[in-house]
Amino acid sequence: MNRKVLSGDASASTSLRSLFKRHITKNVLAMVCVFSMLLSVMALPVSGTAGAASKKTNITYWFWGESDIPGMTKWMQQRIATYEKANPDVTVTLVPQSNSTIIPSFTLAAQSKTGPDIDTQWATLPTLQPALGGAVTPISDYLPKSDTSHWLNTNENTYKGKIYAMPLYLIGVPLVWNKKLFKEAGLNPNTAPTTWTEFLADCKALKAHGITPIGMGNKDGYFGAWMFAIYEKQELNTLSQLTEGVAGKGNAETKMLASLKTMYTMFQGLIKDGYVNSNVESLSLNQGWQLFPQGKAAMSLTTDGNVLSWAKSIGESNIGVTKPPIWGKGALASTYDVTQSSDEFITSWSKNKQADANFLEWLHEPVNMVALNKETGAFPADNQFPAKDITDPLARSLDKLDTSGSSIWLENYIPPQIDADADIPAGQLITSGSGTPAQAVALWSQQFQLWRTQQPTQFAQFKTWAAG
Amino acid sequence: MNSEILTQSSTNAEGQPASATKRGRRRRNLWAYGYMSPVLVALAVVFGYSFVEVVHYSFYAGGVGQLTYVGTSNYHELFADPQFITSMFNNFKLLFTVPVVTILALALALMINTTFRGVRQYRAIVFLPYILPATAMGLSFSYLLQGNGVLDSLLKNLDLSFLIHDWLGSPSWVMFSIGSVIVWQQFGFGVVVFSAALLAVPGETIEAARIDGASWWIVQRKILIPQIRRIIEFFVILQAIIVLSSVFTYVYVLTGGGPAYSSSVMEFFIYQNGFENGSIGIASAAAVVLLGIASVLIAIYIWARARAAKEAG
Repeated sequence: MNRKVLSGDASASTSLRSLFKRHITKNVLAMVCVFSMLLSVMALPVSGTAGAASKKTNITYWFWGESDIPGMTKWMQQRIATYEKANPDVTVTLVPQSNSTIIPSFTLAAQSKTGPDIDTQWATLPTLQPALGGAVTPISDYLPKSDTSHWLNTNENTYKGKIYAMPLYLIGVPLVWNKKLFKEAGLNPNTAPTTWTEFLADCKALKAHGITPIGMGNKDGYFGAWMFAIYEKQELNTLSQLTEGVAGKGNAETKMLASLKTMYTMFQGLIKDGYVNSNVESLSLNQGWQLFPQGKAAMSLTTDGNVLSWAKSIGESNIGVTKPPIWGKGALASTYDVTQSSDEFITSWSKNKQADANFLEWLHEPVNMVALNKETGAFPADNQFPAKDITDPLARSLDKLDTSGSSIWLENYIPPQIDADADIPAGQLITSGSGTPAQAVALWSQQFQLWRTQQPTQFAQFKTWAAG
Repeated sequence: MNSEILTQSSTNAEGQPASATKRGRRRRNLWAYGYMSPVLVALAVVFGYSFVEVVHYSFYAGGVGQLTYVGTSNYHELFADPQFITSMFNNFKLLFTVPVVTILALALALMINTTFRGVRQYRAIVFLPYILPATAMGLSFSYLLQGNGVLDSLLKNLDLSFLIHDWLGSPSWVMFSIGSVIVWQQFGFGVVVFSAALLAVPGETIEAARIDGASWWIVQRKILIPQIRRIIEFFVILQAIIVLSSVFTYVYVLTGGGPAYSSSVMEFFIYQNGFENGSIGIASAAAVVLLGIASVLIAIYIWARARAAKEAG
């Protein structure tokens, strides 16, 4: 009986074991199959790339520009198509970036040294800071001086004699006014406010006639940042007053914060007097600008491209452009506010730097620069571009403003972290009415300390750059 | 006798030796662990490794490749940073949305816990906001709540100008506005959860109460709500975890943390420092703090579940 039971158990156990073995074999086989499939899938693109790489040059281009110049991405896509046709061995993959990803995406790419071969970045510190960190290759190393000498505003991205990035276009920030609304307020529609007193008088008259004097938006903080760029600059005699302040050299920071407080007091005055649209804090800069072409605001600080676009909706004869009125007493107060805004550079990890440089330089060919102006209205950052080709009177006025005299866009000269964490929220404190100029300045001071302790390498690089 | 006892103790109920059973169990356990191992490895890599790295980075300053050991100074800086304190308190302020969502969703679920024409469609409509993409929602509410926006125009037309505010642009109102959007979106989810729980309550219990003369209100208060108590507890804790650690999208699309950090939350603080500024250390320290706070809630949730299981026998 026992034996029978045992023998029965044994047979059951044997069949179980064989079943189990079959299952295991099946499972193991299945796993092996899945792994081999995974391996083959992973291996395919690698071998594909390697194979293609030997024949073709692939350039990945992280591009930004649409927010500055509507139509810019389309222009770039058309240029790439033409370039690829003329150079069948080169493929350029365009990856458009947004305002909110342009810095963080490249910061991450620079950390892992992967991503774009060519990147667009805002000019000066957003470009030079990663350059000092070894993420950018000077473009002047790959192009002869005869090519780069045609580029405008290269000083914004030059360090120790090397040009790190190529400009594509220039953007001026004029004060634009609606002549029809000026007339309605009893003001001379053809006279621009040039001094601060004139500007305030115009604002007062407009407000008295129920017209919003200035239409802007600061939900994203850019109006505040623009006030810093335009009006803090007017307090300075030299750029080093700013850079030494940021670097914390001697009492430069104290001096800089004092001048900032004066600027924020002036800014607060504009808000308190009701000279800026009341919903400024809940509109983005772009949304705030729309008040001007809608005829809901009489003045705005905007870009050349927007002025030309708005002329189409409210009529060119109704628009006047001028330099922002002078408020400050520093030596830099008379400079205009032109910048290349964004620039194009070659990353240090790009495998085909010469090919990248050739493509970028090709964009500066006169035919492409003319197309840039014709298709988007942007002013090319190239002295080979024939200014006489600009026939539109408003565009000619803007071009004249952009090219006459020296220009500085101050926001380019502060570290991106300070711009994002101090400049932008400090302006919001003022426009939302939730903070005083003293609190705005305290925020700057606090963010300086945080940046210096949180980013010791960046801080050291900044000091080196500022000293150079 | 002794040998009998020994024999009995070393065999199980089926007469098999205990050591053989133990061996079998151990073997079965080994196979179970074997099958679980890929998942355990994946969890260890995805969660364990990330957790260890986050804690590790929280003791460093600078970006990746430029890290400097700073000890616990990131934590000191964090609690001295007004932006972080504001962000943390904003998360706590949003906890007020939890009772609001719960009460509103429960009330509606109780009201529609009956058969009437179109009840399913109605539930689907109520659930709709929950599945709307955050970007579409953010864009719509931006236009609705901006100063002089749709809501303000409506209030003006209704002669309620005293209620007009810059809902997203005023630091005093911005958290209220974000909280309202959270309530609006989470409300549908609550209704569906509570409706499902109410459907599972045995009909006989309610029928018996009605025969005993219980009013509609008594049925809701004394029978239905106690019956779904566990689900309510679960929902409350889930919502609390959501408003503490999953509200980034609302803030990002509606206000971008502004004006002047007044609507920043801990997740937004982490994003801004970690991704925009590349300050991995401070972002990691903030993530550790957030994890600590969320862990307390998760522990409460586990404790509540264990207590419920114990009570259920």
